[in-house]
Amino acid sequence: MLSRRSVLIAGAAFTVTGVTAARAHHGWTWAEGVLIDVTGVIKSAKLGNPHGLLTVTAKDGDWTVEVGQPWRNERAGLKDSMLAKGVTLTVRGNRTKDPKLKVIKAVRVIIDGKNYDLYPERIS
Amino acid sequence: MELLTALHDWAPVALLRGGRWSYAAVNAAHILGFALLIGAIVPLDLRLLGWRRDVPLASLTHVLLPVAITGLVIAIAAGSLLFAVRAPDYAAKPLFWVKMALVICGVVNAALLHQAAAWEQPERLADSTSAARLRFAGMMSIVVWIAVLACGRMLAFLD
Repeated sequence: MLSRRSVLIAGAAFTVTGVTAARAHHGWTWAEGVLIDVTGVIKSAKLGNPHGLLTVTAKDGDWTVEVGQPWRNERAGLKDSMLAKGVTLTVRGNRTKDPKLKVIKAVRVIIDGKNYDLYPERIS
Repeated sequence: MELLTALHDWAPVALLRGGRWSYAAVNAAHILGFALLIGAIVPLDLRLLGWRRDVPLASLTHVLLPVAITGLVIAIAAGSLLFAVRAPDYAAKPLFWVKMALVICGVVNAALLHQAAAWEQPERLADSTSAARLRFAGMMSIVVWIAVLACGRMLAFLD
């Protein structure tokens, strides 16, 4: 019978499931599950809301790297000057599912051997 | 274009581009604006299309139109700031200009209907202005404003 109590419980369960799923996939549904590394030199940078983007020239060509919004980069310890043209870095992140595209969403940025974690909860 | 770059580089806009809560707030305000606009205009449009004809059109207009207009003003104010943060990038997207053209269509459609009924006494609005005229305006309005919403959302998903 559809009692008020059972409706409330069902609603709560649905909400928790939705929130958990959203946390796992928000902004990542277009990306592969495994982490890969891309090492190269920053060719250009466009930082700031709503999306920060770098173009990184690696051995296999130019990659588009999604970095965080300003607050996320700051929290990771990154200054805008560290994500500038000419900087050598390694990007650890999730590549786009389309194998034709060189696009990666950064989870960690490594500069001069130091780790800068944009999404600490996603570093395996 | 220098005007777009100047807008992009303007100090308050640069602050938004680097901000966390400020940018989020402007974004939320934009959503509040179009939520009010669509939430108010769709019931009014459905009434224009003949739904719930027992409700006097003049009463519904009296309540809902000010809310819709307020929502539109908020959406445009916040939207202008959001646009400015990435002015050259948004300006380069055809979809953005499609959205702007649709906003203009929505406003013109509303203005034309208002003008057509302006000389009427409010209580005679439903009688004198032909039902077909009202239906057309109502249909245009729903289609246009929902298309605006869709275009706005799709900006993040199309190059």
